[in-house]
Amino acid sequence: MRREHWVSVAMGVGFILLWEVWVRLGQPSALVLPAPSVIAQSLWQGLASGYLWPHILSSTRAVVLGLLLGGTVGFLGGIVLGESALWRGILMPYVVISQVVPKLALAPLFIVWFGFGTLPIVVMTALICFFPLLENTATSLQQVDPQRLELFRMLQASRWQTLWRLKVRTGLPSIMAGVRIAVVLAWVGAVVAEFIGASKGLGALIIAAQGSMDTPLMFAVLVLITVLGLVFYKFAESLERRLLRPHVVIQKKDEK
Amino acid sequence: MSCDMTRFLELDDVRYAYPGRGEVVLDVVRGVSLHIAPGDFHCLIGRSGCGKTTLLKLAAGLLQPHSGAIALQGVPVTGPNPDMGFVFQTPTLLDWLTVLDNVLLPIALHGKVQASQREKAMELLDQLGLKDMPSRYPPQLSGGQQSRVAIARALVNAPPMLFMDEPFASLDAITRSELQQDLLALCQSQGTSVLFITHDIAEAVYLADHVSVMQAGVLCHQLTVDLPHPRLPALRYTADFNARCAELRQAMDGST
Repeated sequence: MRREHWVSVAMGVGFILLWEVWVRLGQPSALVLPAPSVIAQSLWQGLASGYLWPHILSSTRAVVLGLLLGGTVGFLGGIVLGESALWRGILMPYVVISQVVPKLALAPLFIVWFGFGTLPIVVMTALICFFPLLENTATSLQQVDPQRLELFRMLQASRWQTLWRLKVRTGLPSIMAGVRIAVVLAWVGAVVAEFIGASKGLGALIIAAQGSMDTPLMFAVLVLITVLGLVFYKFAESLERRLLRPHVVIQKKDEK
Repeated sequence: MSCDMTRFLELDDVRYAYPGRGEVVLDVVRGVSLHIAPGDFHCLIGRSGCGKTTLLKLAAGLLQPHSGAIALQGVPVTGPNPDMGFVFQTPTLLDWLTVLDNVLLPIALHGKVQASQREKAMELLDQLGLKDMPSRYPPQLSGGQQSRVAIARALVNAPPMLFMDEPFASLDAITRSELQQDLLALCQSQGTSVLFITHDIAEAVYLADHVSVMQAGVLCHQLTVDLPHPRLPALRYTADFNARCAELRQAMDGST
């Protein structure tokens, strides 16, 4: 495990070094491909001068709000669809349509509806990230072992208890997998929405950098978004580990 | 001796059919009458698919008969009630709860667990040889130990009636005979009536006071096992024991 880890890091470092060397020798225009050192410098300057921070904050806020909104809607919607075959029949076509429709094409419409600002970005983020959670929650609620359901009937558990103590608990690994996907998609949604209609945020900054032909800044923002996405993903992973602790203990024991 | 005693669990001309495809209806239970006295250990034996599991679920209130009457202690059975314990074919434990919490589940679903109930659960675990394992998780236990936890869970409320659906079918012979012995001791000390389903003739003779043979949805043979209690493993090798096994075997073969 450790060995692979080092090889993986070495590969990344090697790639960046190669890139640096290639740019210095070949001297392509900095407009097309800036050297890693130039990108790092641009990133550092942006952070040190405080220029980047408002954009980072703005995007992070949009992603967090979008995740909360989309996650809540996705989880609750998943429970409704998973519990009721009737509502599944009625709502599922619309859920699918909401995902098949090119969501990014809706962004201009959202600006018309919600104005320039955080709201359209939050809505777009929520729209993109509610689906995996809804799908995974709804599916996992229907896949509970029938014998366990019979056990809960035998113990005269209420519908609510059966839902929370059995179905949601059993579905937790799959629900948390949905959360991880949602977290990754949330950044895509927010950045793209900012491309189209925002004056602030990392997506808007990329567009601004493109306008002023500041390619190193574009790369710097790209690096920032990647790092932020990773941080969010790691957070979702640790949340999952915390919630599924008994499962984790067992898995570790089995590995030995 | 059973017929003149107070009737505890009564099934009178019970019928049940599963809906088949189109007009076809699958008669599974076709007019079964069965009376179980208090403290009686009654085994129901039959080949796979003869309807014995369906009959058990009818008696436990998990299914409703199409005609006929079922009563426990003189009260008609319309659904599962707290006077019943049920042990399924597989242990059906909740992997995310500790052994102790699994045993306490029937209590926890209906209010806060009292210290005395916790003690009672620990006592049960002790009687079943799981004294050192209350804080383990089910996947860390062997198959036999999981079955023991399932029995403890069914008995934690000291129900007067216990239903068991081939609970030992997947265990090896030695583990099974240990469990049979412990189960007999427990039920005798609590005065529990048991309706126990099995396809294993020797298991039925070893455990039961009365055995009913089920064939194609009806009871075709009754046997009173008047072997002395407590029953020790050595009983299995006696001529008396084998004579009863032979009688049951003949009954199962004869009615095909």
